[in-house]
Amino acid sequence: MKRKHIFILFILVAIAQIAVPAQMIFGRESILKSGTAFKFKTEPVDPSDPFKGKYIILSYDVDNVKTDDKDWQRQQDVYISIANDSLGFVKAISASIEIPKVGDFVKANVNWYSERDNILRFSLPFNEFYMEETKAYDAELAHRKAQRDSLPNNTYALVYIKNGDAVLNNVFINEIPIATFVEK
Amino acid sequence: MNSKLIKELPDLLANDVISQEVASKIEDYFLNKQDQTPNRLFTVFGVLGSLLVGLGIILILAHNWDDFARSTKTFLAFLPLVIGQCFVAFSIWKKKSNAWKESSGTFLFFTIGSSIALVSQIYNIPGNLSTYVLTWIVLSLPLIYLLKSNAVAILNMIAITYYACEVGYSFGSFGESPWLYLVMMALIAPHYYRLLKHHKNANMTSIFNWLFPLSLTIVLGAFVDQLSELGFLMYLLLFSLLYNIGKIPFFDEQKLRRNGYLIFGSLGIVIMILTMSFDGFWYLERFFFNAQETYVSTILFIANLGLLIYSYSKGWLKTFNLFQYIFVLFSMLYVFGLNIPIIGTIAVNLMVLALGITTIKIGADKFHFGILNYGLIIITALVTCRFFDTNMSFVIRGLLFVFVGLGFFLTNYIMLKKQKSRVESLKH
Repeated sequence: MKRKHIFILFILVAIAQIAVPAQMIFGRESILKSGTAFKFKTEPVDPSDPFKGKYIILSYDVDNVKTDDKDWQRQQDVYISIANDSLGFVKAISASIEIPKVGDFVKANVNWYSERDNILRFSLPFNEFYMEETKAYDAELAHRKAQRDSLPNNTYALVYIKNGDAVLNNVFINEIPIATFVEK
Repeated sequence: MNSKLIKELPDLLANDVISQEVASKIEDYFLNKQDQTPNRLFTVFGVLGSLLVGLGIILILAHNWDDFARSTKTFLAFLPLVIGQCFVAFSIWKKKSNAWKESSGTFLFFTIGSSIALVSQIYNIPGNLSTYVLTWIVLSLPLIYLLKSNAVAILNMIAITYYACEVGYSFGSFGESPWLYLVMMALIAPHYYRLLKHHKNANMTSIFNWLFPLSLTIVLGAFVDQLSELGFLMYLLLFSLLYNIGKIPFFDEQKLRRNGYLIFGSLGIVIMILTMSFDGFWYLERFFFNAQETYVSTILFIANLGLLIYSYSKGWLKTFNLFQYIFVLFSMLYVFGLNIPIIGTIAVNLMVLALGITTIKIGADKFHFGILNYGLIIITALVTCRFFDTNMSFVIRGLLFVFVGLGFFLTNYIMLKKQKSRVESLKH
């Protein structure tokens, strides 16, 4: 092959190499711009990732919903319809396999279904929040400390949702972003 | 080695072994040869440097700089990638040396990974490690051919193997069979083929001769789904295939240390069969034909058989070597002898013994002490295994050990003597 052809092919490959992360960015930016913001009550714990750095895993209070459908499989995609409760936090209303036509919803993964009390357990996909490496563990401690004061659970994740796809924007303790809260 | 010979030249001259003319000719020859391979060292250090810098960048970015705004972080995610691309573009356009191409390719490989990782970090995209590695491979695989880069090929092979393990051996949840692994290995194969064809004796080629069977050995287990009993058969068939590939004259005529297929195959077969020679192994609970493992085994069996028939038609099978045929015996044993433990155990023990003797014979024929003693070690291992799980009396066990020990002494002694007499006869 001639040098010119190789070079042109390389340019194509290079464009693809830039396009993949760029496309990831555009998808998320559009959700952050035009999606709706929701508050999910949550609890952080501290694991790590070899390539992407430290993150905290968020375990959400919203993790189950009552439903009469019985036919569920592990790891299956499920759409959870959501609404805000009186305090402004998210609660789950119903679950369905098809995309709901009305209202807000979020895509989740089925964990298991309990036939005894008709409750479907699911996990929300936006459960990793990346933090500066020194802060990730402190964040877990800070949450535990904040938990001890008067309010029941004052840690929540701010999530933007559009057509079921979600972007986790930030995590707050007592209305303060967790990174700032840790510094105090 | 070249320089060693040149250093010996004055000594050879002084002792009148060669003439001055021959000495200068030899010197010229090696100096010329050195000129043709000038920057091999440079390539190695270039690649090593890029590797370290690339990995370093991944680590620095993983710190996750809170103080930067999201736009700054995004810019930083793309910066190394674009720099890497510029280096590669430069070395393609200016037709730079291999050292340039290998190092820039290695650097670009790592920056691709770091940019995707950083973007998922900035936007808190939950990571599925296997998808991430897959994207990384797809974006970097073309570089192997555009740069003709061995380093990128090796890195891709490692990444592909890692991907297959991540998908196939997932802990906790159900593992799936990593079929894409086969596709991606097939995409690297042309590069390997080119190496075999044009650089048969290069060191790089022998690295691939080791990496290919290594990767296959690691990943095959990921294709075991429900019928884990057949996993042993699958591995035995794979090792047998590797052995038969290693016996193709193209590989067999090379030095043993360059022939990863043969060594992998031989060690694999022996270890598998030794494992199965235990009494308890042959109580299989269930067996059914309609399973993924059966199909994989069938394909491997046909590949073995095909290669053997091809070798026969080419006249490569001059001497009988049990290692090459053991898979037929073994597959039959596996299918028919499943629920009759006593037959399975006895047959397998005899097979190990026969393999040991075969190896000793090959070693004796080739005058190769390594192979000879390898055969003795196989038999020793067999005896040691039986030491633990049979009810033989201590006297018999003791005698067995004494015999095998004597075998070590005698065979080595006889061979040493034979070799001496051969050297003597060559002298006269």
